[in-house]
Amino acid sequence: MSLAEFTTSEALTLGVELELQLVSMHDHDLSPQADDLLRELERHTGAWDVKPEITRSMIEIGTSIQRQHAPLVAELTDLRQQLSRAARKLNIGIAGGGTHAYQHWSEQQIYPTDRFHYISELYGYLAKQFTVFGQHVHVGCENGDTALWLLHALSRYVPHFIALSASSPYVQGVDTGFDSARLNSVFAFPLSGRAPFVRSWDEFGVYFDKMTSTGVVQSMKDFYWDIRPKPEFGTIELRVCDTPLTVDKAAALACYLQCICRYLREEKPFEPEEDDYLVYTFNRFQACRFGLDGEIVDPKTKTRQKLRDDILRTLARVDEHALDLQALNASQLIRDTLHEGNDAQWLRSRRKGGMPLSAVVEDATKRWMS
Amino acid sequence: MTALESWLSSSPGSAAPLWTLEGLRGADPVLGFALVMLAAVALAELLHRKLRAPRMLGHMITGALASPLALRLLDRTDLDPWKPIIDLAIGVLVFELGSRIRPRWLIDNPWLAFTCVLEGVLAGLCVAATLVSLGAPAPSAWLAGAVAMSTSPVITLVLVHEVRSRGQVTERLLIITAINTALAMLALKAWNVVAAAGSVNIGNELVPVITDAVVVIGGSFLLGIFAGWLLAKLNQPLRDAAAAPVLQIALVILAAMVAAQWKLSPLLALLIAGMAARSKMGHMLTVEPQLGSAGAVLTVLLFIALGMLFTLDGISTLWPWVIAILAARVVGKGVAVALLARLSALSWRQAAALTLTLQPMSSLAVLLAGNTFGWASQFPGVAGGVLQALLIATTLSHLVGPVLTKWSLQSLADECPQPAAKGS
Repeated sequence: MSLAEFTTSEALTLGVELELQLVSMHDHDLSPQADDLLRELERHTGAWDVKPEITRSMIEIGTSIQRQHAPLVAELTDLRQQLSRAARKLNIGIAGGGTHAYQHWSEQQIYPTDRFHYISELYGYLAKQFTVFGQHVHVGCENGDTALWLLHALSRYVPHFIALSASSPYVQGVDTGFDSARLNSVFAFPLSGRAPFVRSWDEFGVYFDKMTSTGVVQSMKDFYWDIRPKPEFGTIELRVCDTPLTVDKAAALACYLQCICRYLREEKPFEPEEDDYLVYTFNRFQACRFGLDGEIVDPKTKTRQKLRDDILRTLARVDEHALDLQALNASQLIRDTLHEGNDAQWLRSRRKGGMPLSAVVEDATKRWMS
Repeated sequence: MTALESWLSSSPGSAAPLWTLEGLRGADPVLGFALVMLAAVALAELLHRKLRAPRMLGHMITGALASPLALRLLDRTDLDPWKPIIDLAIGVLVFELGSRIRPRWLIDNPWLAFTCVLEGVLAGLCVAATLVSLGAPAPSAWLAGAVAMSTSPVITLVLVHEVRSRGQVTERLLIITAINTALAMLALKAWNVVAAAGSVNIGNELVPVITDAVVVIGGSFLLGIFAGWLLAKLNQPLRDAAAAPVLQIALVILAAMVAAQWKLSPLLALLIAGMAARSKMGHMLTVEPQLGSAGAVLTVLLFIALGMLFTLDGISTLWPWVIAILAARVVGKGVAVALLARLSALSWRQAAALTLTLQPMSSLAVLLAGNTFGWASQFPGVAGGVLQALLIATTLSHLVGPVLTKWSLQSLADECPQPAAKGS
């Protein structure tokens, strides 16, 4: 299979995908009821989309193409309301969060589609361990060359999104010490991490052909990179975010990305180069492990600073773009997160006082559904 | 000869050695029960491994084989000393069932609430009407209808634990079972009232019966609420997870004894206690399946006892009524579930599965209304033929029902864990 043509799309348009947890209202463990919820939502009234994910305890929702913060929030709110209504009818809870706090991967059931069966056959138990929940944000690009330039320029900001969205401190019933433990699960996949440093769509086509000729990949879906091009949509897709605990946070993260993309495209503050990736894995680890308290090394200046401070500076730099994009409310929510802490901290705060993890999941469920 | 050899060589009630059938029949009932339990566990495992049958089937068949129906190793009167323990086993399961119910779901999905009521009522009406049309006396037919409303909470809960099912059918099965069991108990109380109304002296008969019904239902409800509240209070200072099942079993015994003392329904009280405890304690209430290992032993004992109560006497003449009860019950429950399936957000396949899982009929409905295994003494004046047909129908539904339920949850509803793929 050769690489698809890069579809032209309107620059800086947005699409948000959220992978969500389906939990039992009895014990708040994951519950394999995706089919029931999807059937109930068949006649939903929105322009959004809802579909199955790799296990039967997950669903993925996707917004329509959006340009601004307010309509994006409105659509996500409508989506959340319709989803919650259907879930209540079925006695199912829906929660955000990058991991379920105490589910056991071995008990998960693969959703019966050819694609998911293929992944399960290929990756064995990793497929069930992939019961993690992320937010993907698509940003529209007019051509493949611009998409690849933006993809590499954005790599410097990947830790921002990891730390801000981090909501997966608990795995298999224990506090991992990471704010985002979800990305450790993703990292187990052989084609995860960063994309190869190629700058033009033609070059990328050559790389893709080499990979398909080895038989290792069949399509772009086989790459689990942190940011990957999506030629059929005409977008690049940021995949490092944990699913936040609220749709408001999800919308704010998407619009923060939109602002950074506009800043990069219009001001071109630096030119991406291969050496930028020297610190990529270190920065990524810091964000996963320590969240907003982590440190980040600037690949250009080689200076080290707190991630929280770097986000604050970035917010100041992109404020003008936020104003033009009518995304100031989103910027404000990101600023609030820097002060109040990310969702991982919120989840840990629920655990204080000896509350069981099921209570933490229930609180997360209430927060998402209300 | 050692003391052990001497003990094994003969039984107190018989000169025959203990290892012979005659010797076993004369053995101490407690020793006999222990041996039957060993056999039950072995048979259950054998049936499970060879035929994938639910383990409870092995326990019940062992009970039936030991009963006067087959080998006559144990008499039904041998159950009398075990009655408090069997009651406790049922109480433990009913409390756990209550703790799994989330009443809020009935508000979020009113069509489900309607299903819970309609499937019980329609099953009862269908059974009663069919029996009347076959010539059964009306009061007896209505009694059979009241019993037919309920699904066995014991079989349902133990089977759900065994197959580890999760999903819409499982959740609905549990809530419907709890509700239709309570409805059946109400219907049986109402039957008592109506039967008394039929007597000549209304002033002397009807009023006390109505009062009794109100006191039993209201009192059981209040006792259940209090027991749930008490468990929450007692649990507060405890942080030891191992102590939780002990506390819960102690409370089940306490509530059951108070209920029996005040002539309330212990099982209705425990069902409410489970719901109240869940509502009050939320996540601090951790209920282990069957309240832990001790509860699991009691459950085996309970199923042996249920097996011992099996009867097929008179099936050669009563079979039309037996078939009528079973068929009308399937139709009643099936029609109600199907009518409201789509409105309550259930697929047709799930509706079929739910109908089949509701089939194990409950003798517990009668136990909820009374306090002994003596059905006939609980309901004087009921035609013997109808009662016997009802008992045979219960026996058959206990034999076939668990298999149907397991198959429905596994294959039709697809709600059980999938077997691990080779190499994965």
